[in-house]
Amino acid sequence: MSEKPRPELVIDGLPGKSRPRWIELATSADHKDLGRILISGSLGFLFIALVELLLMRLQLAIPENTFLSPVTFNRMLSLYGASAVFLFAIPLALGFFYYVAPLQIGARGTALPRLGQIGVALWAAGATVLYAGFLFTPSEAGVNPLAPLTEVAFLSSNGVDAWAAATGLCTLGFVFLAIDLLTTLRKTRAPGMAWRRVPVFSWAATISCWLLLTIGPVLLAALTMLMIDRNYDGIFFADGSGGAPLLWQHLSWIFFSGSYMLILIFAFAAIAEIVAAFSGRPLLNRGVVMGSLVAIAVLGTLAWMQNMLTAPIGIGWMYFAMLMSLALIVPFGLIVFNLIATMTGGALRMRAPLLFAVGAISSISIGLGAEIEHSMVAAAWQLKNTTDATAATHFALVGGAVFGGFAALHFWFPKMTGRTMGESLARISFWTLVAGLLLAFVPLFFAGAGHGQVIDAYKFYGDTGVDAYNLIASIGTLVLAAGIVMTLVNAISSRANGPDAGHDPWGGDSLEWLALSPPEPHNFDVLPDVRSAHPMRDIRDAIAHRHDRDSDAPARERQPVA
Amino acid sequence: MLTIGFVAAAIVIVAINVALFVAVRKYRAERGTAPATAGGGRRVQFRVGAALTLFAAAIFVVSVVFTGKARETPASGAAGLAAAKSEPLTIKATGQQWLWRYDYPNGSFSYYKLVVPVDTAVKLELLSTDVVHTWDVPALSGKRDAVPGKTNKVVFRADEEGVYEGQSASLSGQAYASMRTAVEAVSPQAYEDFLKQQKSDIETAQDRVVGLIENGEVP
Repeated sequence: MSEKPRPELVIDGLPGKSRPRWIELATSADHKDLGRILISGSLGFLFIALVELLLMRLQLAIPENTFLSPVTFNRMLSLYGASAVFLFAIPLALGFFYYVAPLQIGARGTALPRLGQIGVALWAAGATVLYAGFLFTPSEAGVNPLAPLTEVAFLSSNGVDAWAAATGLCTLGFVFLAIDLLTTLRKTRAPGMAWRRVPVFSWAATISCWLLLTIGPVLLAALTMLMIDRNYDGIFFADGSGGAPLLWQHLSWIFFSGSYMLILIFAFAAIAEIVAAFSGRPLLNRGVVMGSLVAIAVLGTLAWMQNMLTAPIGIGWMYFAMLMSLALIVPFGLIVFNLIATMTGGALRMRAPLLFAVGAISSISIGLGAEIEHSMVAAAWQLKNTTDATAATHFALVGGAVFGGFAALHFWFPKMTGRTMGESLARISFWTLVAGLLLAFVPLFFAGAGHGQVIDAYKFYGDTGVDAYNLIASIGTLVLAAGIVMTLVNAISSRANGPDAGHDPWGGDSLEWLALSPPEPHNFDVLPDVRSAHPMRDIRDAIAHRHDRDSDAPARERQPVA
Repeated sequence: MLTIGFVAAAIVIVAINVALFVAVRKYRAERGTAPATAGGGRRVQFRVGAALTLFAAAIFVVSVVFTGKARETPASGAAGLAAAKSEPLTIKATGQQWLWRYDYPNGSFSYYKLVVPVDTAVKLELLSTDVVHTWDVPALSGKRDAVPGKTNKVVFRADEEGVYEGQSASLSGQAYASMRTAVEAVSPQAYEDFLKQQKSDIETAQDRVVGLIENGEVP
């Protein structure tokens, strides 16, 4: 395809924009601008979360360290959790969905652009509140702050209020973005694009939006109750006056389990697109993969009590949680099977996106494999709240959000910027990440399962036999951080200096590769009549067969080949 | 139970990673392979789905069996406390920031260290006076949460005399990491002696405090 804008573009010759680029970006309601804000912003918060993780790991490098005070450690922990979930992983997934899905379905924008703009603004406001809280007193209550530790009686500083306001603003923003994107996906698909022809990534966006519409309000309700408890003498989570501390656990775990699934749904959908593109053949059994993604969203959210297996809940509920989490083996297994089956027999081009995608599958497999143990009730009684859980969660979510997110970044970066990310730096970064991930989290499996080292503690004792594990984990986190920083640097420097990518660098199957790189504000001049699940493949076939057009199928003849 | 879980996890992890490795090694584009056009039909999907379902169901069933066993109250042995032959010895464990308090049947109590008779079934009733704590002595039993307003329980039997180290396993505030505990298993006779000693020590101390207050030495 030609590198220059096509002559029929209506905006050619219009006077250039007079306002500075950053004002254009900040006031834009275009899904591509908002998507880029979300993606670049969340990658920035990945860096900040990484700094917090490194500080905590430094503290935990040697036994009974006094590098961080207990309060500082708990603040870092709380900030790390909020940053990783609300400011990095979910907005990264949403950012890619928001940027790519409208392009994939052949929409000229989102259906409710102002709502999306408000969503991003709310997210930015949440981030500001969280880190403005950092200037005076951040929350000390942990990643999922369990009531009643969050009540004023136990933490009277306004840190928990800042945490609740920040996560609430972010969640409200996510819900707004989900409403906008869901409307877009339902109402503005290109002609001929039935649900069965929607690209897997856009299908995943649909599921994720429904998921956010389900779990987002649950957390918002819980946060509202928490705010009432703290500021207006409420008793929702206070024991003794009719409140129930366990209520917080139920409500918050519904949200956190759902967002865990959201991140994995995002990752597997991005991986599916990448595996198909780099194997040179369509994804096998799309329908099975799409159905499995739905099953993951439903079962994974219903498995929220898997996080509460040591709490005083009935044994029947524990078995229910176990049933739901073990049932996840089937959809996850089918997806991974079809991904590997697509690669098997394909002609693999091992470029950076596929490399990160393979790394993501591998890392997620370790995390979810370990989660099987955490779902078995009696085993969970041993393993819960040990560093074994830290390791399992991090393998799954670093696999999903960092490896999967970086795979998506390398894959769609050319579409967003017109340039490819540096391939050799990507490879160095990938192998550094692999080494870092294994070094940082495999020792924690042993420390948790073998020696019962507990999570969230600001120090460990020298007589518990976990010194070596923790030292290796701290070194590994440093390596992991180096790997992440390399990709961030790669992305920043490739924006201006990367090799020119053209409009369809990978030979992708879906419609985003029909648009220019970067796409024009209106995305497409002409929309094709979609006839299958892989319209770009049809278009390429039509081009290849142009010379014997007379003998070709009439349907292909009508494809608008640019 | 942990071993079964570990085996299940290892099967999943090894199978996926080996398949990935083989696929990536074998099907490179530069080796002149052209992508195959089909594969993995509906029948294969059913088989894989059925195999995965069986695997999940097997883990579920095994888990239920082992969980049932883990919930059973162990029987007290011959060397155990005579009074706890039929009913387990019930002790109240109260988590509070940042200490565990143990209340024994005779009204005495101890902080930090729980003393139990060896070879005797012990039922700990877990309570909390403030935030959520998790009682966790890995060598004796699984962990359980002490949630304010709720009673949770954990049953165990210490088979050998000695000290079993444990800690709290839920973030409970600043001194959470120091909230450790220990269970000392002693002979039934030593246990009875400990209870008597503890009770008289507590009474002496309380009498002394009452005396100080009555004499006006403590406001």
